[in-house]
Amino acid sequence: MGFAQYRAAREFASNTGQPLITYIFILGLLQFIFGIFFLWKKNIRYYDYIIKCLYISTGLYVIGFIVIIFFHFQIHNSVLIEYPKELLLPVESSRFLVPMWIESEKLFFWAMVSSVFALTIKGRKELLSFLGIILSVFSSIVFFFSNPFKEPLPVVHSEITRWYAALSGDGNVYQIAGTLYGRITYYYNSTYMWTHPPMLFIAYATLIITFVACVFVLFRRISDYDEIAYRYAKPGYILLTAGMLIGYPWAIDAWKDAAWWWDPKISGSIMMWVLYSAYLHARIYVERGKLWRTTALLGVLCFVTLVFTYLLTYIVPGIHSVVQP
Amino acid sequence: MKLKNYDYYLILLTTAILLAIGIVCVYGITYYNYLAVVPGWTETTGYLQFINDMNAYLYPFLVLLLISLGLCIPKRLFEQDILIKISALALAVTVILTFSFGMEIAMGFILAVITCLQGIVLILTFNKNRAIRFEKEGYLVRMGSSMLHLGVVILIFNFVTLRESQFHILIFWAGTLFVTAGNIFSFYPERMNSIFQR
Repeated sequence: MGFAQYRAAREFASNTGQPLITYIFILGLLQFIFGIFFLWKKNIRYYDYIIKCLYISTGLYVIGFIVIIFFHFQIHNSVLIEYPKELLLPVESSRFLVPMWIESEKLFFWAMVSSVFALTIKGRKELLSFLGIILSVFSSIVFFFSNPFKEPLPVVHSEITRWYAALSGDGNVYQIAGTLYGRITYYYNSTYMWTHPPMLFIAYATLIITFVACVFVLFRRISDYDEIAYRYAKPGYILLTAGMLIGYPWAIDAWKDAAWWWDPKISGSIMMWVLYSAYLHARIYVERGKLWRTTALLGVLCFVTLVFTYLLTYIVPGIHSVVQP
Repeated sequence: MKLKNYDYYLILLTTAILLAIGIVCVYGITYYNYLAVVPGWTETTGYLQFINDMNAYLYPFLVLLLISLGLCIPKRLFEQDILIKISALALAVTVILTFSFGMEIAMGFILAVITCLQGIVLILTFNKNRAIRFEKEGYLVRMGSSMLHLGVVILIFNFVTLRESQFHILIFWAGTLFVTAGNIFSFYPERMNSIFQR
């Protein structure tokens, strides 16, 4: 009965989440329009609308995330991988503990955290309006390209489906059990999987704000914007550094002799980290009026490399990637 | 000899080196993508050659970064001209070692020198020694800065020369701890101070 229970949970997640993400998308469109109007007309009414849209969409993101948690909890409860005794595999790895930031859920998680951080900015209406526009573009990308409710966790789903099919006689139970053991132990249930990606996504979320503030520094050169950029770069950099470093023992543990040195994603991450280091380094002198433009440009460049690094998974082959040559 | 705006130029130099490392990484991504046209290339000797090539491109910039880190903190211990001469000497020895014994040995030498220096700085900072001077004031900021620099050097040292050591992971976690704590102390000294005073 485990499979039926799992399927019901998946259907529930899809049916509940689809309307939620549609509302988020619509609110994003409104946010975009009000953002453009506010920056153009400077009418405070539009700003109030942006704030309302932002609060509601953040709330919907959080509800969507709760739905995702419920779905993952149900996977854990309903799906049991009973390894054949001959394989001598440990029982600890017989249940999935799927993190909420894999497959199509990762962009949703990043967007949700970004929305939460956006609400913590106070005082700078123009900056928040521009950020609202960026987040509306983000929610559109989530809706069209990374909707976690359209077909929830396709890879996990195919693995679970294959397992139950094998139990019914359609497939090699031993082979699938061996594969699932590796996936559950070194990927889904790994402590690193529960720490490395979320730290990076939370870092990315704060660094969006740094990027937006740096854009404003370039155009306006108001020290407040630089302060905001720096304020959000600090936690972002701490999480980015710690998150990246945590990936190292995981790689040694999970990939062992696989070819991961100088993998494109790792190269991209190092590039992003050194650029953020350069930004924070250069910023030491920003207050002396010498480096404000350079630091702001670096802040923008850093974010470009962040997006590039994220996209590397989808455009360049490698051990982190979903594309193959 | 006293260089005017010494700290300013040092920060510019460090920023430029970091940017150069970023460019090496971009090259690495492009190179990997170019080689990956052949399926299963990572299982051939071509992959080892790629790793060696990329390390060879990166190491000179790592040496420069280490020298700049060396110039950054211990400047509080020595006069500028002495420090610059020592750094130039260390660089020269590293270059000679590179051509005589290979890059790994040379990196090991410079890393050992810089690790010792950063370790001494951390101890002196911890003891509130007046011999060292910092760009930013405050005990925790100084501790953070020292820990961050030492942590970065330890991590590079570990990655470059201690990959096969049984203590590799242990040293890695020590470096990570220094870097993370260093970041937190540098960025949030007031909050850390209030936590420690409770």
